[in-house]
Amino acid sequence: MTPRTCLIVDDSRIIRKVARRIVEGLGFEVDEAADGSEALAFCGGVIPEVILLDWSMPVMDGMTFLRRLRALPGGLAPKVLFCTIETRAERIAEALSAGADDYVMKPFDGEILTSKFAEVGAV
Amino acid sequence: MSPDDFDRLQSLMVSRAGFRLTRDRMKLAEHRLGPVARREGFETVDAMLGSLWAKPVASLGWAVIEALLNPETWFRRDRVSFDTFGKELLPALGKARGGQPVKIWSAGCSTGQEAWSLAIAAREAGVAVEIVATDLSQRALEKARSGAYTGFEIQRGLKAETMLRHFDQAEDAWIANAELRAMVHFARANLIDAPTDAHRFDIIFCRHVLGDADPARRGEMFDNLERRLVDDGCLFLGPDEQPEGDSIAFRPVAGRKGLFVKSPTALRRVA
Repeated sequence: MTPRTCLIVDDSRIIRKVARRIVEGLGFEVDEAADGSEALAFCGGVIPEVILLDWSMPVMDGMTFLRRLRALPGGLAPKVLFCTIETRAERIAEALSAGADDYVMKPFDGEILTSKFAEVGAV
Repeated sequence: MSPDDFDRLQSLMVSRAGFRLTRDRMKLAEHRLGPVARREGFETVDAMLGSLWAKPVASLGWAVIEALLNPETWFRRDRVSFDTFGKELLPALGKARGGQPVKIWSAGCSTGQEAWSLAIAAREAGVAVEIVATDLSQRALEKARSGAYTGFEIQRGLKAETMLRHFDQAEDAWIANAELRAMVHFARANLIDAPTDAHRFDIIFCRHVLGDADPARRGEMFDNLERRLVDDGCLFLGPDEQPEGDSIAFRPVAGRKGLFVKSPTALRRVA
């Protein structure tokens, strides 16, 4: 069985590293992108099953990436979890209405991320 | 903390709460009692325990007991049980009760996440319920009653969408909204106390509670649950918990981990 795939999009290398360790622990093969445009280029080739997405990033932010991803062929398939420092209810609602499957407020830990993956049906 | 102190703590926990304080929790006990000692105005844990043994003051005794219980819980812990509850049991029971609220007990609710998760499931199923949530710990109940959780707590088990629908944001906290709060009544109760009235529930959730009970007290605790449950009611335990060996009051439902109904023996005894 091919392992399931997850793309972690965050401009912080440390966050990517922490998230990677947790997501690999859930049995995923992980790729990383440092901003939305890198992530979009990646998704032009192969679309991962789950995308963990920061909001505020240089070059292209998470919201722009999400809208463009959803317009790609096959772009509705991946489960997208925003994962950001932004915790205001109206911003969370905005992300969900833009097509995010779930939303993780930083800081998070393995238990939170695991439960989020379970709730969106990724594990 | 001396071994003698720990022995006394163990017997205090068994006699008052039916709780088995295993020896490997000695360090943890010391760690948890530090804040209690400070709060109660003692220099050290040892000084507090010395005073408690010399002159057992009920309020101090309960403060100590509360601190040693296991408070861990989160929203929709063991998600499958909540799905069974909300998508299968509640719609069926709601119909069977003809619009009368389905009565639910969250027994050992700790800081309340289980009770709120049940209320959320009921709202999403559109079934009228009355939820009573009890715990031995007053401090845990205070938090449960406040319905306020940190960002860390709220997102452990809840989807953001569910969180936005049922909780209001206030500063750094997420607070159960008015609709949810109207559904849950919190009260203190000790599971080793036999029921003193005839109030019974359609569904009881008592998960990750009896696993910590002293084996000698577990049977009576199961019997107390059984007496609080209607004959065609359901009991949820943790997915790996079993009354087997402790009680013949319940039998497992095949293919449903953690779900139990009254055994024929229990029904006969009631009749």
